[in-house]
Amino acid sequence: MKKVKIEVCSGSECVMMGSMDIIEAIEGLKQVKQQLKLKAQIEIVPCKCLGPCKNENLAPVVKINDELITQATGDMVMSKIIAAIKD
Amino acid sequence: MQGIYTSVTKIRRQVFAAVAKLAYEHDEYSSIEELPYQIIPGEVPTYRDSVFVERAIVGERLRLAMGLPLRRADEHSALSKGVTECAVPKKFFSAPLVDVISFACNACPTNSYEVSNNCRGCLAHPCTSVCPVKAISIVDGKSFIDKEKCVRCGRCQQACPYSAIVHYDRPCAAACGVDAIGSDDLGRAKIDHDKCVSCGQCIVNCPFGAIADKSEIFQIIQSIKRGDKVCAAIAPSFAGQLGPLATAEKLHEAFKILGFDDVVEVALGADKGAVAEAHHYAHKIPEEQPFLATSCCPSWSVLAKRTLPDLVDCVSESDTPMIETAKVIKKRNPNTKVVFVGPCVAKKLEATRKIVAGYVDFVITFEELMGMFVAKGVEFGDLTNDEPLNDASADGRGYAVAGGVADAIVKNINALYPDKEVKVDRAEGLKDCKKMLMLAKAGKRNGYLLEGMACPGGCIGGAGTLMPLNKASAAVKKYQNDSPYEIAKDNPNIDE
Ligand code: SF4
Ligand code: SF4
Ligand code: FES
Repeated sequence: MKKVKIEVCSGSECVMMGSMDIIEAIEGLKQVKQQLKLKAQIEIVPCKCLGPCKNENLAPVVKINDELITQATGDMVMSKIIAAIKD
Repeated sequence: MQGIYTSVTKIRRQVFAAVAKLAYEHDEYSSIEELPYQIIPGEVPTYRDSVFVERAIVGERLRLAMGLPLRRADEHSALSKGVTECAVPKKFFSAPLVDVISFACNACPTNSYEVSNNCRGCLAHPCTSVCPVKAISIVDGKSFIDKEKCVRCGRCQQACPYSAIVHYDRPCAAACGVDAIGSDDLGRAKIDHDKCVSCGQCIVNCPFGAIADKSEIFQIIQSIKRGDKVCAAIAPSFAGQLGPLATAEKLHEAFKILGFDDVVEVALGADKGAVAEAHHYAHKIPEEQPFLATSCCPSWSVLAKRTLPDLVDCVSESDTPMIETAKVIKKRNPNTKVVFVGPCVAKKLEATRKIVAGYVDFVITFEELMGMFVAKGVEFGDLTNDEPLNDASADGRGYAVAGGVADAIVKNINALYPDKEVKVDRAEGLKDCKKMLMLAKAGKRNGYLLEGMACPGGCIGGAGTLMPLNKASAAVKKYQNDSPYEIAKDNPNIDE
């Protein structure tokens, strides 16, 4: 089975800017995996500050299979995950 | 809408971080004038019609976050007016605590029935037949409601087979359990401050971010900068709120970086209260008093005293966990300033009461605290000096979740007075609290322990939280299980 690893930055800036809600969104996606016919293992890893927040306005930050996403939102991350599983 | 991260949440938090940064890094604050440009950069509006309006609203939010009053929209006054005066190391803000930034309000219609696109202009159109005042007609093949005639009975909505008629109230008013929100002459929300109990639910339910409360971050940081000894009293609902890496063991070090001296669990005060209320119930209910109402939620206790003016004695006189905890801290060192850190807006008001003000110097929310961590660059992932929190039992920690207060008191009654029978009723959300109070008033709750929580879900649903309810309650469970003491009466610290 395909594996998707999602590192969600849980540094202070990212938590303030909503990274916990991104985790919530990904967990929601996991719940509807069957309905969406997504065959993959989705792993969520909350991690230390990934760095980009030190530049203005880049939080929250998420890494999907090593691809860095800045100013991430729940919907953005969910569609990236789906794309990563489907290709 | 509460508990979902939106652009409204984002701006609110950016403002807290910006004000904390301003306070920590500067000694002169006229640069507040630049902050709206940092928070809303560029020339293209993102949220409203005009970038100037966006910045003006952020300007008002910045002022409130510094504890300053809103400015009048029809008079000239600089954004920085009053910033020097508010840079004091003590309580500064004055009433009202919660207010509407009028020009940010969308003047949402109140209690309105609207025909949606779902209307198929059907042949039967039962909506027109059931309307008692003939407010509905078919215009251009679709149902149309004449707002002047409509009496908002909702019968058309029930009759439509396509669910084409929708009902909504303005979100702020719908969230307010004490009907404190009316309208000004321009149709915008206006809070009746005599009715408002400062629960803060309207703040987190307005989709336009038009309602805000005042903050004390600015004055706390002044106190820290002056070299005062400052101690945080942290409410049990903190569990999980500051992110997955911010475990209880890390709090001491994190608060030290902010300039605090120490951290104490408010659940300790809750333990004391649970035991005191267990004794109170066992001795006085129902012989001397018809019932016992909890007092830890300030919005609920204000509402209870207002609704039952003749029965104020039934609202527990034991001090709230916040005050009990502050007393312990002041006893250890009378010169320490106490900052209550919690999920709650109403505690800010509770702390302005004369009898409380001597113990609790400041109150901030978890959201505001997060702004301070960001301003100071505190990274929980990099902290290494673990120091567990061991002040409180699982009972006191459970106060954070609706039902937890009553649970704790009942457990202690059962342990201390095994023969005493306890009856419990509880309510969350001010609307339901009010219903429960009416039952009590009518004599239908005699012999009961009544737990009231103004926020849905209890403290973890407070306006100053950062985390969705279900997760927060799981985090509190874990924090309860981590306690060295299972029941409040067995916590040796309550004798301090
Ligand atoms: S919900 Fe917000 S925008 Fe709508 S009336 Fe209430 S305060 Fe105004
Ligand atoms: S009681 Fe609560 S919801 Fe109602 S106006 Fe006051 S703060 Fe807002
Ligand atoms: S906190 Fe997420 S990048 Fe620094």
